Amino acid sequence: MKEAIRVKELTYSYPDGTPALEDIDITINEGEKIVIVGPNGAGKTTLFLHLNGTLKSQDNTVMIFGKNLGDMKVEERIKEVGIVFQDPDDQLFMPTIFDDVAFGPINMGLDEEEVKNRVKKALSRVGLEGFEDRVPHNLSYGQKKRAALAAVLSMEPRILILDEPTANLDPKSRADLIQVINDLNKDGITTVIAMHDVNALPLLSDRVYVLNRKIVGEGNPREIFSNSELLKMTHLEAPDVFKMFKVLTCFGYDCDTLPMSIDEAVEFLTRTIESGSGHIHLHLHEHTHEEVRKFLHSYNHH
Amino acid sequence: MDYPEIDKYASIDSPIHNFDPRAKIITFMVMIFSFVFLDTITKALVGLGIASLIYIIAKLPKAFVIHRLKVVFLFLFPLLIIMPLSVDGQAIAQYHSITITLEGFQYSFLVIIRALSAVTLALIMLGTTRFDITIKALYMLKVPGTLIQMLMFTYRYIFVIIDEFQRMWKAMESKGFKLKANRYGLSVLGNMIGMLIIKSYDRAQRVYHSMISKGYTGNPRTIVNFELRTKDYAIALSMILIALLMHTYHLVL
Repeated sequence: MKEAIRVKELTYSYPDGTPALEDIDITINEGEKIVIVGPNGAGKTTLFLHLNGTLKSQDNTVMIFGKNLGDMKVEERIKEVGIVFQDPDDQLFMPTIFDDVAFGPINMGLDEEEVKNRVKKALSRVGLEGFEDRVPHNLSYGQKKRAALAAVLSMEPRILILDEPTANLDPKSRADLIQVINDLNKDGITTVIAMHDVNALPLLSDRVYVLNRKIVGEGNPREIFSNSELLKMTHLEAPDVFKMFKVLTCFGYDCDTLPMSIDEAVEFLTRTIESGSGHIHLHLHEHTHEEVRKFLHSYNHH
Repeated sequence: MDYPEIDKYASIDSPIHNFDPRAKIITFMVMIFSFVFLDTITKALVGLGIASLIYIIAKLPKAFVIHRLKVVFLFLFPLLIIMPLSVDGQAIAQYHSITITLEGFQYSFLVIIRALSAVTLALIMLGTTRFDITIKALYMLKVPGTLIQMLMFTYRYIFVIIDEFQRMWKAMESKGFKLKANRYGLSVLGNMIGMLIIKSYDRAQRVYHSMISKGYTGNPRTIVNFELRTKDYAIALSMILIALLMHTYHLVL
């Protein structure tokens, strides 16, 4: 498997001297789904700005597909790594949606026909066909968010980085966006996402990095969410389904792996019931409440 | 939200709306320059008449221009007072050492009429084209890139800033603030404007980052498809001829 991103010993301080990132080591393979979590101000956005060279780093600290990012030309860089930032108003800076989506491809030096093709393709990918002539300020927040994604997809990057893609979206828009991102990943695009939305996290990640100025944890979602100490330290929490099933185990439900999503929960429940005698058995014993209290306490921030 | 959009009526169908944007800008500029250099009130009135005629052809709603002209008139109104008092000429009234002159009145009328026709023309030009198209037309006319980008960002972010201002305003009102013309009110307003400037500075930084990440190198580049047709040449030619005739008719007739 090819290495898509390798970050080695990346350290960065803001211009005023405040340390933002310390000794970051990350390796991401091609086609992986990565989520980076961490408290507010942990340096996620700063890290992302290093991954496509918007912020300059020392030599050989950031390698993209084996090449030093600092040596790559602008056109090459934007072809490899596309970043979708959090606020769509920051990214839709051209007068119309067409101009915005065409901005990257034009800078890549593509000819007019190809640019138009790409704009069309990118807009249909996010479900905004026919929005070419619309002006950003007349769009809803969800539409703006999708337009911002299209403006990056039109560069057809091999690595897609998204900062808080699901924040502030209504449930339908959120589900749509998750679907689009997962489809893109299935097409072979490496996705790296920063998010606080723990309930959506299992859907968008094979592997999780926990960032708090340094990398403080790494593993698959289940490993990360089972580590209550880590979660507490980094102001995170586990998905509700995960916690619910942990509570069920206190009531005697027998399962070795806890589900991370509703779909998984249904699957696990069905399996347990089928392998048992057609039903599951829950009961109360003298320590049950004590166990539940202890568990919830370990995951509680108060 | 109700934005003060200059291109609100750009989707109406009229000969002026369908006029090629590049030709429109050049033609209207020629006409504006011609009209502001007219030297008599009669000619200026004819100019205003022509401007109004184009306005009718453009099918723009009455309120669109009138509303904006009112603001312009507010700036021009002081001329009506200052010029009769300051221009030398035939006195029509005198009070001690203060004289009011006929020439002063004539001058101020001339200036006001010329300004009104120029503004009307400018409003028709901007009001009949989507603003992004106007910017692209300027880009095609080789207006310097820096200017184009300034216009582009102004157009894109003016609405974002309006939203931001209104959010802050609502937040203040919801905490019981009422604007009064006293020291406190003004200082709060000043703070608010300061906040807006800081916010836009931060936003500028983020927008710049996102531009860099899409390969921005300092030149705005865009794709435009304009096509000059025979009718565009015809309209442009006749309007420019009118503009020229206003100054040279005595040589021809």
